[in-house]
This record gives sequence, structure tokens and C-alpha cells, in this order.
Amino acid sequence: MTGWRLINISKLLILTGIVSLATGCATTQNNDPLESGNRVVFNVTETLDKHFIKPVAESYVDVTPVPVRTSVTNFFNNLGYLNVILNDFLQGKFEQGITDMLRFTYNSTFGIAGLFDISTPIGMPANNEDFGQTLATWGVDQGSYLYLLGPSSTRDITDEVPSTLLNPFFYLSGIVFAPISALNAVNTRANLLEQSNIRDEAALDTYSFTREAYLQQREFQVHDGEPPATGYDDIFGDAGGDVGNAGDEEESGMLVIE
Amino acid sequence: MTLKLQHLLKTTIFISLSFFSCMTWAEIDQEQAIHVPVNTLHTSLLSIMENADTKSFQERYDVMEEVVVTHFNSPLIAKVILSRHWKTLNEQSQADFIDLFNRLTISTYVNRFDSFSGESFSNLSIEQMKENRFMVKTVFVRTENKPVSFNYIVQNDGDEWKIISVIANGINDLSLKRADYSAIIKEKGFDSLMASLKEKISDLQTK
Repeated sequence: MTGWRLINISKLLILTGIVSLATGCATTQNNDPLESGNRVVFNVTETLDKHFIKPVAESYVDVTPVPVRTSVTNFFNNLGYLNVILNDFLQGKFEQGITDMLRFTYNSTFGIAGLFDISTPIGMPANNEDFGQTLATWGVDQGSYLYLLGPSSTRDITDEVPSTLLNPFFYLSGIVFAPISALNAVNTRANLLEQSNIRDEAALDTYSFTREAYLQQREFQVHDGEPPATGYDDIFGDAGGDVGNAGDEEESGMLVIE
Repeated sequence: MTLKLQHLLKTTIFISLSFFSCMTWAEIDQEQAIHVPVNTLHTSLLSIMENADTKSFQERYDVMEEVVVTHFNSPLIAKVILSRHWKTLNEQSQADFIDLFNRLTISTYVNRFDSFSGESFSNLSIEQMKENRFMVKTVFVRTENKPVSFNYIVQNDGDEWKIISVIANGINDLSLKRADYSAIIKEKGFDSLMASLKEKISDLQTK
């Protein structure tokens, strides 16, 4: 077994361990009981990002033509698509699962190993499914917010296991894996430049802003872009608009959308 | 007797038709009224986008100021965002916050919607949340990027309907700002929040 694979397996075990340890916190009303630790990791990654990763991503954008970046994104998205297909079926979305299998087959063959997304123009757009969403449809709640290399939660981090094991790259040797993984990381960061710039422009406390945006975005994804409208009422504390006492739950980081 | 029955039948039909047509018209009127703030906002946004190259920031700011002041329920929005901190403020501080928050909202709109390449808004549906509160679902169609879902919570404020929340791709601006501002107040206090907001507004206006 290569060193790279050992590192990946270790990563999976560590993540699974974190999930197990944090399960005890999952029933609490507070969605961010690990805030102090999360903030430390957040500050470290933000510093690394600011001084190293973001400048590299910006340079990559400057020197790489848009069609090339699009193809790189298509390629990596296609490699990760087996995980989408698995979770289609785990969520009982059989029709979507079959369409996604066709999409994967078309893009992998006629789309030259996924470099070109030929499926979207013919009516098979990409779907966004992962194991965190599957657990949500099975009734598992969000659990505790986690910040590791990015925003996540004790429920959503479990996706690392199937997404890693189902990605063909996991089985490549380290010599090939390392540079391609680096390209994937830089390309992914480049695709997030606009979002992170908007966040930095808008946020006063970037940690709280990121957490709130992530948790809400996940609810949106879990409901396939159609979360129940009534869930948005909670924030008003409802006494005809008297919200003077509302917000205590927010202090503890609780998500306002249920 | 037959004539009486016929008369009674005609009267019943007439009253029923009148009642149902009134109901239908009332519903249509209400739906139109609920859409007014959202449609006005969208029309103004498209206008400032189209005129981004020809009109100054201040001119576009003036357009959006009228929309935000007229069609957003700013006092309620401010109250929700500051939640339990709201009651700790005196009236002057509350008014100052509302004013600053409006300026931030307007500046953000002008800053973000600063170019036009064929974008458009489409109304999708309307969903009742409470007796006087609806969600208006819309989509912002872009030519080069994925469409953005913009949903608005609109509430009756006496005589007219006003926007009380904007939800972009599932992210509710109210709860986002409440979490953000609450963290600052908790750590540094209300005055620091106000100073940070002023700085944000200044940044948005100079970029």
C-alpha cells in the first residue's frame, strides 16, 4: 500500500473518529458547541489561505484560459460523480440515479474522460447529492458545526468516506495522485474566489458569517432548492412582528431554518 | 309560484356570481399588491445595472434609496437582526442603526448590481406563510452563470406590503446578519458594530 493511500485512510479514520466523538453533541440545541476549537482551525486556515492558497488560485486564474479551467472543473466533477449516483439511490431518487448514470457514462466517454460536459446541453444537468444529504433524508439532524479544511458538520463530514472511496484517484499511486490533487485543490479554490470575495466584503465576523451561510446552504441543498417556506418564520419570533425577545437561540449558533 | 322560484333562482345565481367574482378580484388585487415591492425592486435593480456605465454611484444610490426606504420594512428588519440587543438601545441608537443599515443595504445593491449583460428577473410563485405574510419566489436569470433563486418574505404593514427578508439561494439575509452582528456586539459592543458598518459602507462606495 502506498504512503498516499495510507494518509488518505488515516484521514478517513480520523474524520470518522471525530464524528463518533461529536455524536454526543448532536442532540444539543446549540449547533456550534465546538466553536472555540472551530475558530482556532478557521483562523489557521484563513491565514494559510490569505498568504498562500488564495494568491496561487488568483495566479492560476490569471494564466489559465476560461475553457481550460472549465474542462479541469468538469474533469474533477465527473470523477466525483459516482458518489452522487450512489447517494441518488440511497435517497430513493431512482429516476435521477439512472439519469446520473447516463450522464456519467456520456461525459466519461463522448466527453473525453469528463473534460467536456456534453450531458447538460442534452437535458441531463448535474445534480448535487452527497452522503450528508442522504443522512438528512433518513432523518439525521445537522449535528454540530465543524470547521476543518472548510465548513462542515458532524453529519456532513461523513461524506468524506464514500466520496473518497468512490473517487478513482484514491486508488492511484502517490506520484500521480499528488500533483493532480494539488491541481484539484487550486482549481476548487479558484472557483470559490468570487464567493469568498463577496463574503469578505459583507462579513463583519467572517467565522459566524461562514457558519450561518453554510448551515443555511445545506438546508437548501437537502430540500433540493425548495425548503419549506414556513421554516423561515422562526426568526420573527412571531407575535405580529414583536421580535424583542427573539434571537437568544441565535446567540448559541442555532440554525433558524428547520 | 313558478315565477317566484325563477326569481329566487336568478337572485341566488346573481348573488353567488357577484360574491365569487368579488372574491376572485380581491385575491387578484392582493396578489398584485404583494408583488408591488418585489417588482419595484427588480425593475430598479435592472435599471441601475443598465445605467451602470452612464450614471454615477450617487445617482444609482438615489434610485435604490427610494425603493429601500419605501418598500422595505426597515424598523422590523433592524429589530429582527439585533434581536435581544434591540431592547437595550435607546430610541436614538435604534434610529441610527436603522439609518445605517438602510445605507448599507442600498450601497450593497448599487455595488453588486453594477453591470448588465441581458439578465432578467422572473416571478415563479407565491406562498402564504401566515395571514399577513407571504413568500414571493423569483429567479434571477443570468446569461453566463447559473440562475440565482431570490425569494422575498413580504408582510402587510398597515395599508401596504413591504419586504421583510431577502433569501438568496436559500441563504436568509436576516439570519446571516443576525449571526454576524451578534458576534461583533458580544465581542466588542454596539458602538464597534456601528463603526464597522460605517467602514463597510465607505468601502462599498469607493470600490
